[in-house]
Amino acid sequence: MLAPVLGAILVVVTYPFLLALLQSLQDAAGHEFVGLRNYVNALVNPLLYEALAATGIYASLVLPTEILLGLGFALLVHRTVRNSAWRALLFVMATIPLVLPPIAVGVIARLIYAPGYGVLNHLLIVTGVIRDEINWLGQPATAMPAVASVDIWQWTPFVYLVLFSGLLTVPREEIEAAQVDGASGWDQFWHIELNYLRPLLLLIVFFRLADVLRVFDHVFVLTGGGPGNTTQLLSLYLYRIEFKYFDSGQAAALAVMVLVGVSIAYSLVTRLLPVERR
Amino acid sequence: MRRRRHPWRILAIPIFAVIGILYAFPLYWLLATSLKSKAELYQATLTLYPQAPTLQPYVSVLVERGFWVLLRNSVVVCTLSVVIALILGLLITYPITRLEISPRVRVGILNWALSLRFLPPIAVVVPYFAVVRTLGLYDQPQALILIYSLLNLPFTIWMLKGFLSEIPRELEEAAFTDGAGRWTAFRLVLLPLAWPGLFAAAVIVFTFTWSEFLFALILTSTPNAQTFPVGVQGLVTQFEVIWNDMAAAGTIALALPLVLMVLARRYVIAGLTFGVVREK
Repeated sequence: MLAPVLGAILVVVTYPFLLALLQSLQDAAGHEFVGLRNYVNALVNPLLYEALAATGIYASLVLPTEILLGLGFALLVHRTVRNSAWRALLFVMATIPLVLPPIAVGVIARLIYAPGYGVLNHLLIVTGVIRDEINWLGQPATAMPAVASVDIWQWTPFVYLVLFSGLLTVPREEIEAAQVDGASGWDQFWHIELNYLRPLLLLIVFFRLADVLRVFDHVFVLTGGGPGNTTQLLSLYLYRIEFKYFDSGQAAALAVMVLVGVSIAYSLVTRLLPVERR
Repeated sequence: MRRRRHPWRILAIPIFAVIGILYAFPLYWLLATSLKSKAELYQATLTLYPQAPTLQPYVSVLVERGFWVLLRNSVVVCTLSVVIALILGLLITYPITRLEISPRVRVGILNWALSLRFLPPIAVVVPYFAVVRTLGLYDQPQALILIYSLLNLPFTIWMLKGFLSEIPRELEEAAFTDGAGRWTAFRLVLLPLAWPGLFAAAVIVFTFTWSEFLFALILTSTPNAQTFPVGVQGLVTQFEVIWNDMAAAGTIALALPLVLMVLARRYVIAGLTFGVVREK
């Protein structure tokens, strides 16, 4: 029973990859073989490097912020909220953003940042922080942070939940022994709790890095990659090559390179993932 | 003995308040906008709450724009994807948790499923688009159902493996000694015990599928197969943006996961971390 099911799935998963490989060696119409020309075209396209840079900037805005805020909040709750009913309530509340459709979250962000109806400008003007409307999504300097803020809003609770559950696994005796020895709150974190959180932090970094390559929906509805190409992440770039420029050869070449790149990265880090594979 | 108050406590309350506002206000703003009339949108000053709450935007989205069809598509596609993903998931996890299978095969399957978690969908979309077109499934719900079942399979395998391996084998073995066959033991002993886990997996897969946008955007073009998120996106990128309709569509897209999540809240984080984080 197992073999046929797995076999079928393997075919369904592998076949498109082979097809992509084939497509990447043909011209856009799929009539003749062009060797590695699509790969060369993909690699000399300056837009690719803009997309890679945008992806890098996005990751470097989102990851450290989410980890620091999530960690800070996990420690704060762990140390100040003792009541288990409150903890359970926070647990449920933190789960909510994780299940919301990114498209809907993108809509919310639009209602906040968009020129005209955006409520952020309104609140900032009413409170006297700014005098004139800021075009958050229309200027390169603010568009990327605006897009990143949506990711941070939606995924910091994930970091919090994972790290908070990690803090719960720290044995009480170890903490109490340290406190008797006069350890400060910082010592307690740095020398004891961090050891229990390390594998989870690794998990968060890997999962969230993989997710940066997945990000599409909320950027698509917020800026569509603009202004210019400032928020055109790799996923939006690939979409544009295939479905706006209809260059399926180049898109397939990019897809193959992304798949190979991710597979190599994955095989390098997979042993470090603290997942129970038994 | 009363516990000494932690010094961070003074800090905690204002921080909780700020975070509460940062999360509650955007959701409030979506709901408030969805209840405003068109006239109110065109007022000179922005109103922070609907002056005359109306359900008109919902009627406009679902009836006048015909989005109820997309809603129906979403429900059909999600339900069937969940059923197929669970059946395939059981067909794979039952043998690896219940039958004598070499540990290498078992670890191999789990590793393979885990590796798919790191695959960026955009790289897969390009070849799938070609396959779907050659099969004549472009703009057909079947294409989405097949792809969603596959996309959710790795996650389903890991969740079901977690649930099934927690049920002691001895229970089924007792049934075997009473003369029950594998199928009977599965149906009468394992399935009732695994039911809460299956249900949780179903709810979570449904929620993920409900949210999926990229494949739906690329593989559909008409209300024949378009799902709700595609409709929502259509409202956003239109030339003239109608905020209240957009907000109403957003609210509808958001409501179902919110309700379902309450049912499966204890399993969401375990699912998202492939069982690394267990619920307490």
